[in-house]
Amino acid sequence: MAAGGIKGLVRAMSRAEGDEVEDLLARLGAAEEALAEEVRRSRALNRIAEAIGAGHDAETLVQTVVDGGVELTGAQFGAFFYNIVAPDGESYTLYSLSGAPRSAFEGFPMPRNTAVFAPTFKGEGVVRSDDITQDPRYGRNAPRRGMPEGHLPVRSYLAVPVITREGAVLGGLFFGHPQVGRFGARAESLMVGLAAQAAVAIESVRAREAAHAELAQRRDAEERLKFALDSGRLGSWELDVETRAYLASDICKANYGRRPDEGFTFADLVASVHPGDRDRMTAAIEDAIRHGAEYDIEYRVRAPVGETRWVHARGRAAQTADHGGARRMAGVSLDVTERKRAEERQKLLVNELNHRVKNTLVSVQSIASQTLRTTETPEAFRDAFEGRIMALSHTHDLLTQQNWEGASLREIFDFELEAFAARDRIGFDYDRDLQLSPKATVALGMAVHELATNALKYGALSVPGGEVRVVWAVESGETDESPALRLTWTERGGPPVVAPTRQGFGARLLEKGLAGELSAQVSLAYDSLGLACTMRLPIRALEP
Amino acid sequence: MKTLAALKVLVVEDEALVSMLVEDMLSDLGCVVVGPAAELEEALRLAGSADIDAALLDVNLGGRPIFPVADALKERGVPFAFASGYGEAGLSEGHKGATVLQKPFREADLRKVLESLAAQVA
Repeated sequence: MAAGGIKGLVRAMSRAEGDEVEDLLARLGAAEEALAEEVRRSRALNRIAEAIGAGHDAETLVQTVVDGGVELTGAQFGAFFYNIVAPDGESYTLYSLSGAPRSAFEGFPMPRNTAVFAPTFKGEGVVRSDDITQDPRYGRNAPRRGMPEGHLPVRSYLAVPVITREGAVLGGLFFGHPQVGRFGARAESLMVGLAAQAAVAIESVRAREAAHAELAQRRDAEERLKFALDSGRLGSWELDVETRAYLASDICKANYGRRPDEGFTFADLVASVHPGDRDRMTAAIEDAIRHGAEYDIEYRVRAPVGETRWVHARGRAAQTADHGGARRMAGVSLDVTERKRAEERQKLLVNELNHRVKNTLVSVQSIASQTLRTTETPEAFRDAFEGRIMALSHTHDLLTQQNWEGASLREIFDFELEAFAARDRIGFDYDRDLQLSPKATVALGMAVHELATNALKYGALSVPGGEVRVVWAVESGETDESPALRLTWTERGGPPVVAPTRQGFGARLLEKGLAGELSAQVSLAYDSLGLACTMRLPIRALEP
Repeated sequence: MKTLAALKVLVVEDEALVSMLVEDMLSDLGCVVVGPAAELEEALRLAGSADIDAALLDVNLGGRPIFPVADALKERGVPFAFASGYGEAGLSEGHKGATVLQKPFREADLRKVLESLAAQVA
């Protein structure tokens, strides 16, 4: 470099001139060295600043800071002690080391709030000492009064608090050297700058970590919500009030007959609602948006394919704080088709029950009215009326037992004659039993009751030895007739009977009632041998 | 305008006990009973051609709705009333508002309904 040329020139100079130049040269050399050192430090500083800004986790970041600090100050070792406050409020002191193995500190307790450390941990300012052991603050705290035995030898000491812009002390940077006078003002100012950078970086890393943690927490919460919605078969949806952008979950789409990969806009939603329910639905949404009303509605949905379904939708519009209306609306949807069907079935059943009860009341009214017309005394009325009501009741018992699907012909006889005194004198003769409709069961039940009661009062069963024979068979009809049940009730061994002068309830029920209700042909023959009742009942009117 | 005396009333009712009661009531009121018809086919035949002034129709005939019979009567201009345990709720859309005799009913209720029907007879 140019200095070589200058040296040659110096040799040719006078002594005095030479000394002056020598001095200049020495100063020049020192300046060059300082410049080189400054350039080196500046590069190191850039590199460290870059590493700090690279965005690592807090631990790597702090290690970078401590390593950089050791490099820049020429310390033999450095450390960063920082305070972390756990969520439960307890505070821990952690540290990063540089220039010394971790084992060099492991045996020692954490730095205490001694006179030496306090200014750093309290964020009061920098402590720089050419020989810390000579510092008036050193060794004043019991029990150790100085460094514990075995501690790394520290004479030169530099400690800088790391403080956020808001003034919170995050920790402190500590540098040491076994020789005295190693840290100058330059090192101090560099470390103050590094500490400021570290504070910003640590804060930003912590903020980022907190944001990550919150995000993970939200994701967890969202997953839990999705699980709850899925297991409840609940769809979820969201509506942007302004743009009418509509976001539906997979289950929500399924509620409206859409696949997860199909698009489903707000217009699609409105269009899929049954026209009869659509106005009500849109009005409810507007009401929720404008007045904050609870959106809670059930409507029919016409899916692209398949039958009409019922959907129950609930939601709420999120009102803005200034009551300037709602910006978004969110809620859930549930397919309630099964429940709706059950409700409809229930309604039908209740209606049917009401119908039957009303009809039964009319039957009772009819029995009362006709019994009154054909009995002479209150006692006779009561006898006959009670018997008929009980007969009606027995038939109902039989039908209830069979779920009101009907009963067999033999069952009808058995139920009506169950408590009948002369039951064992009624004989049966048939090839096959027949299943009858509920209507035929009620009609024939009453007919059997009338025949049996009449036989006991006036006919074969009114005297000992009298008998009744019940015979039935299905006749395939003549050419122009459909198959029919032919049933005969024949009384023998009783007193001779004569046709009554006035048609009683039983005879009327048999001859006219059954004729009307079951399209039957019924004849009652009164002769000297006993009563014979012959019925011809078309099968089509009997079958369930 | 006709009086109840000799008013010819078609009765459509599939339950023997009920139709016997209605027959008795109608006879007491001096009416002439036509039927009673217990089956839809028979009811349709009588509604279409029988000599009748009015009709009393059970809404449910063995599980089949009576409305075709009502339609036939309407066409002929024969006034009619439904007798039903369902009340007006059991009526089809086309017959909402028709006269309904709620079961069970008293003879006085039947008389009132018949009088209103008789008033419609030309």
